[in-house]
Amino acid sequence: MATTVRLQGLTKRFGGTLAVDDLTATVHPGRVTGFLGPNGAGKTTTLRMLLGLVRPTSGTATFDGRPYEELVAPTREVGTLLEATGFHPGRSARDHLRVLATAADLPVRRTDEVLDQVGLTDAAGRKVGGFSLGMRQRLGLAASLLGDPPVLVLDEPANGLDPQGIRWLRGFLRGLAEQGRTVLVSSHVLPEVEQTADDVLVLAAGRLVRAGTLAELQSEGGGGTKVRTPDGERFVELLTAAGLPGRWLGPEELLVQAPPAVVGELAAEHGVVLHRLAEAAGGLEDVFLSLTGQVRP
Amino acid sequence: MTALVRAELLKLRTVKLPLWLLITTLALVALGVVATVLTAGTEGSPLQRDDPDLLARAVASASSGNVVVLILGILVLTQEFRFGTATPSFLVTPRRARVLVAKLIAIAATGVVFAVVSAVVAVALSAALIGLRGDPLTWDGTVLQVLLGVVLVMVLYGPIGIAVGALVRNQIAAVVGALAWMFIVEQLLVALLPEVGRWTPGGASTAVLQLGDVATTRGELLPVWGGALLLVAYAVVFSLVAARLTLRRDLT
Repeated sequence: MATTVRLQGLTKRFGGTLAVDDLTATVHPGRVTGFLGPNGAGKTTTLRMLLGLVRPTSGTATFDGRPYEELVAPTREVGTLLEATGFHPGRSARDHLRVLATAADLPVRRTDEVLDQVGLTDAAGRKVGGFSLGMRQRLGLAASLLGDPPVLVLDEPANGLDPQGIRWLRGFLRGLAEQGRTVLVSSHVLPEVEQTADDVLVLAAGRLVRAGTLAELQSEGGGGTKVRTPDGERFVELLTAAGLPGRWLGPEELLVQAPPAVVGELAAEHGVVLHRLAEAAGGLEDVFLSLTGQVRP
Repeated sequence: MTALVRAELLKLRTVKLPLWLLITTLALVALGVVATVLTAGTEGSPLQRDDPDLLARAVASASSGNVVVLILGILVLTQEFRFGTATPSFLVTPRRARVLVAKLIAIAATGVVFAVVSAVVAVALSAALIGLRGDPLTWDGTVLQVLLGVVLVMVLYGPIGIAVGALVRNQIAAVVGALAWMFIVEQLLVALLPEVGRWTPGGASTAVLQLGDVATTRGELLPVWGGALLLVAYAVVFSLVAARLTLRRDLT
């Protein structure tokens, strides 16, 4: 059951744009791995390279050592959900799954089982063209489960789900990981990952900027000090000189890995004006924003 | 491979389009038969009412659906990209050449179905109309040969359509271009420049259906076997080009 996914030096260049830059990471079985990054960071391109849809410029992506194209029965080994557009609008949900099951040589009764798993049984005979985005996502998830695969690769599965659906998805993904499956879920919506993922990979502008457990990342957000100062550039230099590197959280706002007393004293010593000095409440969001550099002035 | 072909056939059966196209085909066939039989003996027609080939000529209208099968082939391919179903297709079968081969087989099989239904309708309608007019009905080897030609033409136009879809990709441009080619360019070439026109797919089809001396005033089309070979060559070459274009493309 347990399959490990490895990305090794994965790189994709589209014309002059480096979409994914030398990405190396491991995704472990029995855990939900959140693949985070702002829109345009290269998450989808990475997942599409992993699934053999986009040819990497260099590097490899493997499932227990085998690239996707070499899997004997890919549907039984890797379940996939990519953006919710892969449906013929005139085909019913059940027929969509029957086509995939037939091509994958899976028993057709699997279609009803997975429709039940995602709660679409009542809509099975309806045309996908009339489905809401949330229903399409559920249908996509159903398709990913057809082969009962040990690995799931899901690109933004929470897109289009209502709050109730997101809660359902969370429990659903946790359940899959608890069965020992390898679950890789991309997202640009943090709260959703914060409550689901065990591990996180953070991607920014095509580069992997952090890989680790969610707990590690969360702890980085706590225990520090938030500082607001009009003299940020200089203060960062002073902090660095003092061995207390600060990270930008917003214009004029820094997060420093040190207690408020230490930071305040340093500011006083060098006459840096502070508008705010407070113990950081912590949270993945601050870490995420600073890692992905979205608010760097 | 069998599973993939079954999946492709299931794709065709689970949408409405092929049924509508079959109905369109039968309408075209009926129109062709009626026009051939009713104009026989009039001034503009190369056929006399007692022409021994009248039945065979009328039955040749069963190939009218070749344009419809061509369009079905175009749509089968372009819709995969337009609706994004190419992604799940290639995820289930990462070796894309297999998907393409399954599509070619499925569309060829669909062509057989269209051909058989068209042939039944064409034969029944032709015989009925000629009989109603009190003209002589000649059942000979020519009728059978024409019917075999109909099947060949209908089998090969679908794969050509898939290839055109892979080449042009833009669904509307591909369909409009194919219609303009078949109804304007080829017709003009076959009629006015048969030495060029006989090398077109349309010229080859006309030869296969033994309509040479009917379609052109000078009867300068290829012999039946030559037309058949040329049409097969078109389907094979087009399919190879389609494979080359479809298989290596990034699906972003």
